[in-house]
Amino acid sequence: MTPEARQSAALVTVAAPSGRLLDGAMRILEAAGYLDGDAWRESRRLIVQGAEPGLRCLIAKPVDLLTYVEHGAADLGIAGKDVLLEQGRDVYELVDLGFGTCRGVLAFPGRLAESWERLTPLRIATKYPHVTERYFWGQGRPVEIIAMNGTVELAPLVGLADGIMDLVMSGRTLRENGLVEVAELFQSTARLVVNRISLRSRADAVAAVIDRVRAAVAAA
Amino acid sequence: MPRDPRERWQLIPSGTRDWLPREAVRLREATAGVLAEAARWGYREVVTPTIEYLDVLVRGEGADAADRLFKLVDRGGELLALRPEMTTPVARLAATRLRDEPVPLRVAYAGWVFRGREAASARLREFPQAGCELIGPQSVDADAEIVALAVGALRAAGASGFSVSLGHVGFLQGVLAGLDLPGDDAAGVRALLYQKDFVGLRDLLERHRAPADRLDALMALPALRGAGALEEARRLVHTPEGQGVVRDLERLGEALAAHGVDDAVTIDLSIIRDFDYYTGIVFEGHTAALGAPLLGGGRYDRLLDRFGVPLPATGFAIRLERVLAAEIAGTPDDAAQAWVPDAVVAAEAGCGAEAAACARALRARGFAVALEVLGRPWEQVAAEAARRGVARAILVGRGTARVREGGAPERTVPAADVAGGRGAAARGGAS
Repeated sequence: MTPEARQSAALVTVAAPSGRLLDGAMRILEAAGYLDGDAWRESRRLIVQGAEPGLRCLIAKPVDLLTYVEHGAADLGIAGKDVLLEQGRDVYELVDLGFGTCRGVLAFPGRLAESWERLTPLRIATKYPHVTERYFWGQGRPVEIIAMNGTVELAPLVGLADGIMDLVMSGRTLRENGLVEVAELFQSTARLVVNRISLRSRADAVAAVIDRVRAAVAAA
Repeated sequence: MPRDPRERWQLIPSGTRDWLPREAVRLREATAGVLAEAARWGYREVVTPTIEYLDVLVRGEGADAADRLFKLVDRGGELLALRPEMTTPVARLAATRLRDEPVPLRVAYAGWVFRGREAASARLREFPQAGCELIGPQSVDADAEIVALAVGALRAAGASGFSVSLGHVGFLQGVLAGLDLPGDDAAGVRALLYQKDFVGLRDLLERHRAPADRLDALMALPALRGAGALEEARRLVHTPEGQGVVRDLERLGEALAAHGVDDAVTIDLSIIRDFDYYTGIVFEGHTAALGAPLLGGGRYDRLLDRFGVPLPATGFAIRLERVLAAEIAGTPDDAAQAWVPDAVVAAEAGCGAEAAACARALRARGFAVALEVLGRPWEQVAAEAARRGVARAILVGRGTARVREGGAPERTVPAADVAGGRGAAARGGAS
């Protein structure tokens, strides 16, 4: 219940997301001079010591990453805008890292692509229940959200939902499952986020990381 | 001890907590410390109801706040809510019962506040706050007083190694001033600010083709802190609003030096507070030991106007549970959260009255004394006292008393010596 005790003031912790953003995140940290090449790939360790003694990197599940940063267990983090939108955490979002580009879209089976707006109740399966609820709330349209953790595109094929709200990159997964995009809810890239206290209590060390990451992004 | 954790009677609602003896004592000390420091500055304590009409709280905190409130329905169907902080109830009080008091009005408070839901898990929905409000003056001197008092109050609560970051909501408004954003986007800017989404802010300004110097100022903002921050800010922001803010903060810095707290305060123009009633300075106290602020406050010149009294005001609130958490951060928790008395007093057979008199005499001198009420044998009482870390075990007989202190061998002394202040029990004094 109480905020976590934190590591010594000298050590800066950066949280990187496992999964689709991991490679890009590690490349940015490497370009910023914080990681030695691909050494992190060779182990399954969840905490990677940086190339400099003052920095370490932890690898967290994307859905948990902002929890580490919000509570100050990590000073900085790399997170997709999709997760930031869904979780609405109390962190500073400072740099667009420019990789991990994708879009959050509403999609329906081809036969419903024209008529979905007339469905009541409208059932949408998604990993982003808050974003989806806000979208339909903004449209003034009632919706039944079915929260899922993966393979959302399966839901309309088996009658669990009418349509889905999900991330797309190339759109191939949608096509292969006979789904058609009908609306775009957001665009997402990876972002650098910072704990609100770290920005102050470890200002110099954290500001240095922000500057070097920003420079690495500009050079990319 | 809980046997089956699935049984609801063993649980407390999410976002609440129990305070065990040692924590409860520290909470009370910290609360008393803040109120005593406030009193030394001329701030009088007020107590307001835990529940208010929903309308009152929404009037103070804006319609968006209704989502965050812990709501109840009264017998007549009126909507009530538990107070989410104390500034709005104090504003209501200042606009009603305290309306005819001369300004400046200096008010202190301590109490429990509630949030209906917190965005993140593991955040408390009920927590103790103590704070002060200075109502009436709109001056750098008033801001300096409230910041200096905040530093003193945090210290009096027992916090150490903290610093207070001081910013101003007008600085960001200065960056955005004169850009003529359409209504939706102006609201969007505010929403992005509360979300601390600087990427989104940049996108929005770029979409409106804002001048490059505005973008530079915005992106520099998170780093605008410390000794050179104000000079850098002056260089970055050219609007009259922004320059005025920089001037005010410089004068405030001088006033804080006069109060002797400039060492504890850092200029930090990136401070963004969650409540939307702030109109001037904003500040937060923090320590490296915790990822969340210990204290928050600022100037709110339009809040009382919403209650029909157009008075400017400034104030702060301390998150007492975080001050306590920062104290113990990194140190192992005492498993039992134990609190033990200074002495235990047992009676020899037939000497209950003498033992009670002895305990009463010791209490009168300020000792915490527990009487043996289980009727256990002396050896067992003394052994348990030693094990729990109770400084003294006393067995009262007729005219004499046996005393064990720490690891020392048992001594027999006249009973009057134990109760009267001479001899064993008196040494060390009340602690």
